[in-house]
Parts: sequence; structure tokens; C-alpha cells
Amino acid sequence: MIKNILVCLEGSPSTTAAVRLAIDVAKPLAAHLVGLAIVDEPDIRAGTPTSIGGSAFKHERDDALVADAHKHASDAMALFERRCREANVPAKALEIVGRPVDAILEEMETRDLTVLGRDVNFKFEIEKEDAQTRDTILHRASTPVLVVPEAAPPKLGGTVLVAYDGSGAAKRALSSFASSGLATGRDIHVVTIDDNGAVAWEMANRAVETLKAADIPAKGHNIVSLLSNQDVIIRLAKEIDAGLIVMGAFTRSRLRELFSGSVTRSLVDTTEIPLYLQH
Amino acid sequence: MLHTPTWAIFPFLTYLLLIAVLPLFLGSFWEHNRNKLLVAAIVSTPVLVYIFQLGAGEGGRLLLRTASDYAAFIALLGALFTISGGICLTGSLVGSPLVNTGFLAAGALLASVIGTTGASVLLIRPLVRANEKRGYATHLVVFFIFIVSNGAGLLTPLGDPPLFLGFLRGVPFTWTLRLLPVWALVNGVLVTLFAIIDRMIWNRERVRRPAVVVDAQVREPLRLQGAINLLWLVAIVTVVFLMGSYGTRLFGDGVLRSVVQVAGMVGCAALSLWTTPREVHQTNRFNWAPIVEVAAVFAGVFVTMIPALSFLGERGATLGITKPWQFFWASGALSSVLDNAPTYLTFASLAVGVANGPHGTLSVDDLGALTVHPTGQILLTAVSCGAVLMGAITYIGNGPNFMVKAIAEQHHVRMPSFFGYTLWSLAILVPIFGLVSHLFF
Repeated sequence: MIKNILVCLEGSPSTTAAVRLAIDVAKPLAAHLVGLAIVDEPDIRAGTPTSIGGSAFKHERDDALVADAHKHASDAMALFERRCREANVPAKALEIVGRPVDAILEEMETRDLTVLGRDVNFKFEIEKEDAQTRDTILHRASTPVLVVPEAAPPKLGGTVLVAYDGSGAAKRALSSFASSGLATGRDIHVVTIDDNGAVAWEMANRAVETLKAADIPAKGHNIVSLLSNQDVIIRLAKEIDAGLIVMGAFTRSRLRELFSGSVTRSLVDTTEIPLYLQH
Repeated sequence: MLHTPTWAIFPFLTYLLLIAVLPLFLGSFWEHNRNKLLVAAIVSTPVLVYIFQLGAGEGGRLLLRTASDYAAFIALLGALFTISGGICLTGSLVGSPLVNTGFLAAGALLASVIGTTGASVLLIRPLVRANEKRGYATHLVVFFIFIVSNGAGLLTPLGDPPLFLGFLRGVPFTWTLRLLPVWALVNGVLVTLFAIIDRMIWNRERVRRPAVVVDAQVREPLRLQGAINLLWLVAIVTVVFLMGSYGTRLFGDGVLRSVVQVAGMVGCAALSLWTTPREVHQTNRFNWAPIVEVAAVFAGVFVTMIPALSFLGERGATLGITKPWQFFWASGALSSVLDNAPTYLTFASLAVGVANGPHGTLSVDDLGALTVHPTGQILLTAVSCGAVLMGAITYIGNGPNFMVKAIAEQHHVRMPSFFGYTLWSLAILVPIFGLVSHLFF
């Protein structure tokens, strides 16, 4: 059962949605929320080519951006604490100075779930977009991550779609979801996709059996389709009005992703439904 | 006759390379001026040993000449930095395309009088303030660097450090005025191009975010604080002009002339400090750190370049760069990745070597002779244009480039990365430089 949730705070619209959903998840589970704000000082102060006489201006610029990042972090923390207080959810906020990926991965180790806005950007002082931090966390996380798009509804829906491909990551995602408490009171659907319908059916059954063993009833869908995997998942999620998609994250090697693309990244980038992911 | 050994140019090349890469790989080390001096001292040591070996006569003459050039160079940069740091443009303008274009055009004129650094310091903050309500201002700062921080400084020795180095080595004060056609072409095209781009962006913003553009109409009246510094600016121009025109006649060509010149510039800076209200310096966040850094780094440049320049002067004709367009592009290409001031002197010395041929009598100590030499003057024109204009190609090509970027980022303007900025400049500047090369060289 989820008892301790880490929420990444940086003030983007998707983080606002993430905080809202984290509160909704925490409340029925009586979980404790920890809001994590990060000041990415190492990257702000990182070495860069400067012209002669430019070091002094770089120093001044770095100080200004670091001060701005601290203010941004404290504003985000104050807002987070206020929202949790209003919702009567126990929470505390934490500010860390360091590289976002390292800080988040370290904090994740002691939490049951990490909630991350889809467009999370801890490098907002120096970069417009920062998909790298999110993808690296999803690649390296040892605990589940809930990725929340900006347009996600404020409450977790009553239907959950588990996308299962039999990989190690998919098994870990299924298992942690089954014990998370998030399945309680929700309709669970399992989808498997394969060119061979029988193989897909067998895989779906295995996932359904796993959930059944944890007293979670689920309905299996085995799909053979000409569409891409992510399109099948999105189409089915819409059909059953899923409020959450559960799946293993980045189940292919980085080399294979390079050539054939990544279902995880496509889904994270396009869907408006929160994703429960585990690598 | 060949005097200078080949190895003697390596400290200079090594030092220029270190200046370019140390901020990237050892940023925190390079941040301290003490460390910059340490690097300068280490790289200069073999050159100093070489100079001492030349004997008291020749070695002493070289060192004295270098010291007086260095003092005059730093005194001028310091004085212009002090005086422009004492002028502050307050209030807020409307960040409309017309005003922005006017700002850049004014900067293009001003930079030749107060230097590209001075004009950049004076104008960048008001310009960014005027546009802070607009959603996108990156193009504005990029064109500011192209025009005000670089291209505009082509007209006088005060405009850009390379030209002042040439002036210190004998190029007449008014000689750079012959670069007017190039200055007008480059800055004219850039200002026009900017006006078109800014108008397009403004129109797009007006459709997408009308409230923002309306909000940008709110303005405060403009005020010039520290206007007394304009007087000290005129004084600086007068000192430099008089010393260039009559200095040798009045004080000889030795140390006394340099001392008078430095004293004049330091005097102007001191008067500026004395007469400028403290609030103006506070608003401009004026401090000495940038000029101390320039002094520390250029100490190494001036020492290590002594044998390098002699080497190029002696063997310039054999190094394969002989045509004006080659000088333009080669001095420009190096100026874009190394600082443009030492690069200018390097190629001006090479031009001496080429103009000399095997039996010439021109000296790298007197670049003024190039201006009256039939081949030399076109080569010097090419070097001046290449070094000044192409300093804009990267953030490290010219002193003010990075300063403008840093100040803009402090005001939350999203600036391109090092390579992103270089793509901007390759796309916009290189075709213009191609035209310059075709028409003039």
C-alpha cells in the first residue's frame, strides 16, 4: 500500500496538475506527501565559453539566476503546502540544491510512488524545455512513477487500463500497482497486443491471473492490430474511459528505441491520461 | 633576415587556446583573476626568457614598447568602461519595432565614439526593459550583439579594441574612417533586416497576445542620468585624437608620450568617478571586476604576442595568405573563436610580412606604414573588417558579446546556447560578410 508519495515541484502547469492528483491519490490511502523543489545550481553555474571580461558578468548572471530559482522553489513549496493543508493531507516540502535527476532519484528510493508533471522542467532558469530529466528518471527509477499531463482531470478516474507485454518492467509495474491500493474500487482492464492473437490472449490471461491473486478482478483484451501499439492503447483507453494507464516504462533497450522508437515516450508525450510507469 | 625562432609563437597560440577553453572546462578556476594571472605568468615565462636572451638593448626596447602599449590599451578600455558605467538611461520606452530599430541604429552610431563595450553597457538594459512585456526578445538581443557590440565599432580606434591596438601601433586616428562604406553596408543591412523581423514578430504577438502588446504601450519618460560623463567622453576622444596626431611631435615616440596618453585617460576616468552620482553606478551595477579581468588576461596576451608578431612580420609572405579576401576571412574566422584584439595584431603583422616581401623595410612596430603602402593598406582594411565584424560570430569573439548575453539572461530573456547563437550568426552574418568580401576585397 502506498504510504509515502514524492511530488516534484517546479511551478509548470503540469506540476499543478500533478499536485492536484497527488492529493487525490494520497487522501483515501492516508498517505504522506513530500513536495520536492530543486534549485539546479550546478547547471546554472556550469562552465561556458566566455569572452575576455565576461567572467564577472557570468558570475553576476549566475547569482541572479540562482536567487531567482530559490524564490521560484520557495513559492512552489508554499503553494504545495497550502494546497495540502486545505485538503487535510499530511505533507512537507523539501528544497534541494543539486542536479535534478540525482536529487529526485535519491529521494525516490525511500518513497512508494513519485508523482511527476509531464512537462516538468527543473532547468527552467536556463532551458525552455527539459524532457531529458523526465526521461532519465523514468529510465532509472526503481520505484513507480505517476506521470501527470497538464490536462489530466483533478481526480483519478474509476477505470484503469493495464498495458501488458510480459516484459520484466511490465511485470514489476503490474505487481507494484496490485499492491499500491490504487486498484481498490476501480474497474481494471488488461490489454495485450501481439501479431499472434493466441499469444496475446495467453499474455493477457497471465496478467489477469496475477491481479486475481491479489483479489483484484480484471478484464482481459487481446488485440491484433495494424495500428501502432501506442495508438491501440490510446484508442482502447478512450473506449473504456480510462482514468489511468499502467505499464512498464522503456521496456526496450536504448539502442532499439533509437531505431524503432519508444512506446513509453510516445504515450508520455501525447496522452492526456495519467500514466503509472515502472522501469 | 629571420630572427625569431618558430617555437616562440607557441606560447601565444597556447595562451589564446587556453583563454577559449578554460572557462568551459575549468570554469570555477578561471573565475578568479589570480588564476588568470597565474596562467598568464606561466605561459609568458618562456617568452620572457627569450626576450632576456636578446640582451638589454633589443629585449629592453621590446619590453618597454609592450608595457607602454599595454598600459595605454588598458587605460583606454578602463576609461571608456568607467565613463559609460556612469551614464544611465532610465525610464521605459515602448518596445515597438520602430523604437527597437531606432535603439539599434543609435547604438551603431554611438559605438564608434564610446566603444562597443560602452554602448552595450549603456543601451542593453533600457532595451531589454522596454521589451520585457513582449513574449519573445531573443532576436532583439542577438541583433544587438551583431550591431552594437560588434559591427558598429568599425569607424574609429575607440570603437573596438583591435582598432585601438592598431592605433597604438601607429595607424592614424582618422584612417579607420575609410571603413565607412563597409560599416554602412553591414550595419545598414542588419538594421533593415532586424526591422523586418521585429515587425513580423510584433504583428504575430499582436494577434496572439493583444493584451501584452497593449500593455507594452505603457511608458515612463526617458531620462539620461550622469550626463556629465558625455563631457569626459569628449575629453577621451580629444586625448586619443591629439596624442595620435601630435603626440610624437610634442612628446617624442618614447615612454613620455605613453605616460601622457595614459595620464590623460586615467584623468578622464577619475573625473568621471568624482562627478558621477553614486545612484547611477548602483543602477548600472558598476564594479571593477570586468576591467580587472581584462587587465589580467591581456597581460599574458601582450607578452606572448611579442615574438609571435615578429615571426609573422618576418615570414608572412611564405605562409600562404596573401590576398585581401584571404586576410578578411582568415582574420575573421580566428576572431570568431579567439578574442579579436590579439587576432587583429596577428594578421596585421602577417600583412606587414606580405607587404614587405623578401626585402621590405616595414616593421610590425609601425602599422601606420601599412596605411600608405599600396598593398598594405588594402590588407590592413581587410584585417580590420574581418577582426571587428566577425567578432560577432560567437559569444567569445568580442568582449561585450557575453556581457550582453549575461545581462539579458538576468532580465529573463531566453538566449540561445553557444552553438545556437553561432547558428544565428552563420545564417545571418556570413551571407552579409560574403557580400562585403565580394564588393571590397
